[in-house]
Amino acid sequence: MEIIIEEITRAHKLIARHKFMHNHINIGRGYDNDIIMADPHICAQHLSLNFNGEHWVLNDEGSINGSFYDDEFSKTKSAVHQHIVRSGQVFMIGKSLVRIVFPDHPVPESVSFSPFENILTLTRHPIFLAVNILLFASVTGWLFNLHNPVEVNFTQLLVPAIGMTLLFALWPIGVALVSHLTKHDARFWGQLGICFVFYNLMWLSDFIENITSFNASSQSILSLLAAFLPIVLAFCLFWLNCQIGFHMTNRRRTVIASCMTLLLFGGSFLIQFSKKPEFSIRPTFNTTLMAPSYLFTHSNNVQSFLENSKALFNDAQEAALEDK
Amino acid sequence: MKGLTTLILLCVSTISYATEQAEEIFKQLAPSLYQIRLIDIASGEKSSIGSGFQISADGLIATNYHVISGYARHPNKYTIEIFDHQGKKAPLTLQSVDVINDLALVKRAADSDMPFFKIAKRVPQKGEELYSLGNPHDLGMIVVPGTYNGLKNESFNDRIHFTGSVNSGMSGGPVVNKNAEVVGINVATSGNQIGFLVPHDKLLNLYQRYKTAKPKSIAAQMAQQLADNQDKLITTLLNSEWQMRPLGEGLIPVVNIPFIRCWGESNADKADAIVLAVVANCSLDENTYISNDFFTGSIEMEYRYMQAKELSDTKFYQIFERQLTQVMPGNKADKDDVTEFQCQHDIVTPSNQAITNKSVFCTRAYKDFPKLFDVLYIAISVDKGDQALLSHFTVAGVTQNSALKFTEKFMESISWK
Repeated sequence: MEIIIEEITRAHKLIARHKFMHNHINIGRGYDNDIIMADPHICAQHLSLNFNGEHWVLNDEGSINGSFYDDEFSKTKSAVHQHIVRSGQVFMIGKSLVRIVFPDHPVPESVSFSPFENILTLTRHPIFLAVNILLFASVTGWLFNLHNPVEVNFTQLLVPAIGMTLLFALWPIGVALVSHLTKHDARFWGQLGICFVFYNLMWLSDFIENITSFNASSQSILSLLAAFLPIVLAFCLFWLNCQIGFHMTNRRRTVIASCMTLLLFGGSFLIQFSKKPEFSIRPTFNTTLMAPSYLFTHSNNVQSFLENSKALFNDAQEAALEDK
Repeated sequence: MKGLTTLILLCVSTISYATEQAEEIFKQLAPSLYQIRLIDIASGEKSSIGSGFQISADGLIATNYHVISGYARHPNKYTIEIFDHQGKKAPLTLQSVDVINDLALVKRAADSDMPFFKIAKRVPQKGEELYSLGNPHDLGMIVVPGTYNGLKNESFNDRIHFTGSVNSGMSGGPVVNKNAEVVGINVATSGNQIGFLVPHDKLLNLYQRYKTAKPKSIAAQMAQQLADNQDKLITTLLNSEWQMRPLGEGLIPVVNIPFIRCWGESNADKADAIVLAVVANCSLDENTYISNDFFTGSIEMEYRYMQAKELSDTKFYQIFERQLTQVMPGNKADKDDVTEFQCQHDIVTPSNQAITNKSVFCTRAYKDFPKLFDVLYIAISVDKGDQALLSHFTVAGVTQNSALKFTEKFMESISWK
């Protein structure tokens, strides 16, 4: 009679899978067993599994630490003694777990390739990946030059550009490492590819945000809307990181991606909030300034600008009365 | 030789005559001259000192507002008292202030008529010898001879230019002519024999208004004075000629009025600078003291013309963006005095259609003086690739109406050539 025995981790991840065609199987640390375990808490002759013509019967061979299974009725751990095995049942021997499965055990439905898989194949294509990383490094270098009040030459730009690229590569490396450690496929190049695509999208969203706040007046809600763009992008990146690196349900993936987005933006908001002084004599306003070629909006006239200013006097006067 | 001796003798006799006269004046006036002390109630020690002089038989004493400002602002924290020439102390009550001219009237209890200073009827002549009295640095009452040099030119509120040492602690002390009549009150110094006095007519005004009606609340009186003065100032500014002057390729308004003074600077000598920067700023030289960390009444206007040399437009504006973040209010004030700034910004083109600016308008309200605001405006042109014009002003302690009128005139005046 056929039987399959799986060695699994405590998180029920598969370590090894054995298939037998005979009716008598021994499990233990001794070299004469059918399955030779390495766990020192297992005895040389630990378990035997026999087919009695109708059922598979598991029996502990008088081991020191015993063998146990989760009893579904009493909801406790029961010791194995002439136990009739059901397909899919998990047994604890020493500190190791084994799962016994019959050949007719049902398997979950096959997962079709998601549309993301095609994108992922594209993003980890060497040329696409190289172009993406290069683009990221160039934008970083260009921004460094832009924020530097003096003229900067090309070699001076290389250090921050390469440095930032390496720094940002740490995230996909980290994610790949975690998936590797949790017995998933690391898929490093996939992670690297998708991360740099999103990093570049972030630059784009930064640019859009700048253009919006440059063009929009303080009365407009457009700049507020543009501020949501990076949050959405970050969520998508985390979601895809989970998709590539880990097997999990959609719901779980969404929850994890949301939590990480919250941690990132909530955390940076908290840091900013805690640094804000109780009272500042400096005026705060949106200082975004761009070259005339990025100006698309219609100019306001002085009269309506002053009309809008009137509301500020009321706000300030109310604030003064509240504080008194 | 004989002539020389006569000359020396003559000089010595003139000097000794002046000294004698100063001594005579001092002796005569000493009983009505006081040191004024602001006593911190919690510690029981004096927290600041100044001078004062009696101007009526019933115990009314004139001094500077800034000498007793601590008491005017925080009546529960301080008491005021006088210290007379015999070393006797007496408590004082605050009666009235003129915060614009830095004057205050305090009163001591008087059982009988007391000697007092007479206020002059006429303005001194240029070069006339005057005697400043006061107690500098708590060293004891002194008399300082000096000369009257007319009114300070560049000043919105009149100040006498007195050539003689006025030191701290002498603030609030009287300045008298040879007839021992008060012609001014010590108020400030510019170092090295340059002193400033409040003209006697300001004191006379305050005294007469006090006699007709005593102010009900010092804070309300101050608020009214501040608002009136700033409205008068803004009206004067708006009615004056606004001359358009070139600054690089831009045209900036300069108010043609003596008390607004302008200065300029540029980096034209720096060959390696990546941006040519030309700066002009115009401001009112005086401001109104309210307390040590709260000044108002200031006006400043600043213009900056910037031109990129071999710089991309994007980087040029990036450099300019940094200038926006550095903007600061023009007057000193803190959390207890003002609210935080409320701001708005927009892209604005004035009706001359000659320039397009990113304009920012901010205002904050005074907590103790209702309907008075500090206003700050900054605009940067965003219509030329390699040139930009920054225009900026701050006005302190104005009403909403004045502020908006001034802002309108300012915004409509800026343009390109």
